[in-house]
Amino acid sequence: MSNSGNDTPVVRMESIVRRFGTITALNNVNFVVNQREVVGLLGDNGAGKSTLIKVLTGVYPPTSGKIYMDGKLVEIPTPREARALGIETCYQDLALVPLMSISRNFFLGRELTRSLGPIKWLNIPEMDAQAREALKDIGIHIRSPREKVGRLSGGERQSIAIGRARHFGARLLILDEPTSALSVGETHKVLTYTLNAKERGLSVIFITHNVGHVYQVADRFVIIRRGELVGSYAKDEVSEKDIADLITGEREK
Amino acid sequence: MTKATAKSKPAPRRFLESPIAGPLITLVAVTIFLTIFVPNNTFLTMRTMSGIVNAATLTGIVTIGITLLMICDEFDLSAGALVAVGAFLYGGITMNGGSPLLAVLAGLLVPGLLGALNGFLRIRTGIPSFIVTLGTQAIYRAALYVLSGGIMLQTVTELPVYKVFNGRLVGLANAIPDANFRTSLFWLLGMVVLFQFILVRTRFGNHIFAAGGNPGAAKATGVNVNRIKLMGFIISGLLAGLAGVMLFSQYKTARIATATGEELNAIAAAVVGGTLLTGGSGSVVGALLGVLIISMLRTGVVLMGLPSDNFVAVVGVTIVLAAVFNYWIRRKA
Repeated sequence: MSNSGNDTPVVRMESIVRRFGTITALNNVNFVVNQREVVGLLGDNGAGKSTLIKVLTGVYPPTSGKIYMDGKLVEIPTPREARALGIETCYQDLALVPLMSISRNFFLGRELTRSLGPIKWLNIPEMDAQAREALKDIGIHIRSPREKVGRLSGGERQSIAIGRARHFGARLLILDEPTSALSVGETHKVLTYTLNAKERGLSVIFITHNVGHVYQVADRFVIIRRGELVGSYAKDEVSEKDIADLITGEREK
Repeated sequence: MTKATAKSKPAPRRFLESPIAGPLITLVAVTIFLTIFVPNNTFLTMRTMSGIVNAATLTGIVTIGITLLMICDEFDLSAGALVAVGAFLYGGITMNGGSPLLAVLAGLLVPGLLGALNGFLRIRTGIPSFIVTLGTQAIYRAALYVLSGGIMLQTVTELPVYKVFNGRLVGLANAIPDANFRTSLFWLLGMVVLFQFILVRTRFGNHIFAAGGNPGAAKATGVNVNRIKLMGFIISGLLAGLAGVMLFSQYKTARIATATGEELNAIAAAVVGGTLLTGGSGSVVGALLGVLIISMLRTGVVLMGLPSDNFVAVVGVTIVLAAVFNYWIRRKA
């Protein structure tokens, strides 16, 4: 990897504030993700995890604050811009369209086309073939690329979203509650794909409130409570119990 | 992850997964039923079939637009009013000796613009399109009344442009007895082919499904959901305008109340044709089948000697049954 040995963080968010009307959802939050690092982003419901990620992915541009990618100041006004910068999000409910096929989902917003003069049409055979290959490449075997996503299990859906992110050259993969609705076996698969992604040079933000899941794969934990940063802890600094206490506020720092 | 790659599914299962499976089965069932129960074997005749098709063309054109909108999870209750607007502009201009080209453009583009207004109001206010277009359909008809003075347009002059949009196919009728088809059939088929292609083979079509199927996912992948929906409203307006142009070309008359309730016929046809009321799924070919099914029933009720008032009840029952059937098939597949 050309990035190894490079210690400029992939993303540095500085003094991020986001308000919705009179409500301050994020108050002066700093957040860093290093190269090839899995960061567990933890917090209770409504703590501001999702808002922070939506700021990073251009869904809610920040009220104030700065975002750096590879040390360069960037603006992320739209999800499209976030993707162009290599930030890919796998939202639990928002990643895929259940009534559409695997390959149409895989290429949604980036469809492959053929053209004749001004007429452009989808290159469906090519999209099917590429989706199948890309998924096989990270160890995901699908029955058919034409299969509707709605027929897949939760773990399979997550894996498709992860495979898609990798295929399109993501640098930073954001997994939003990837395991919260999954069985033990399915959770294990998703955690394996997460580590696969890291091995292939990606950085990962793993958002969850399930400490047990993220503890297995994360290198570092960032905890948010009521819109404020509680702290950032390396894995060897804290136990699972410590993290749980920090999330709920049983313990202060 | 060693998941055995299963073999591709058996053909019947694949057929049932197709969005047109439900309407196709319904169409066959209705055809068989009417063939048996319509007395004197008058159902499967060229005369009856051409009548059914001719009665379906105008609603068919409107239904294509409604189907596209319903797939991206929006409604257009102003479609009937826009048919009337299209018919009035086109009829008024051609009757008064205006350029046929101008008449057609006005008949298409003004409803298209009003469709854009529907979309704009929907997107800007966030009010459901069901409510927005419930309001605009009344406004559009009222505006038509005020601007036209409430007159009824009527002409007996036969212009070439009328023949283009909805003339009788005399040659065909001479070649095949009782084949009373009209040029509107070609317009309908042309629009079905065009919009089926757009829907399943283009990027825009892909985004229509995504916008209705999971707008959050569509936005997250960079699809401009509002733009897609706005385009849907414009297309619905343009097609309603085209139906108005074809309507005036056939009947050479238009009133303020022309095509009242046409939007509900179109929604019914779309649903019978397998389009989900909740968005994200549907098909233009299915819409065509849906319109044909309803038109067959309308004709069938009359041919069976039932009072034609019963048609409304028969259509009502069909819509409910077809909707239940389509949902059931989807769950099975």
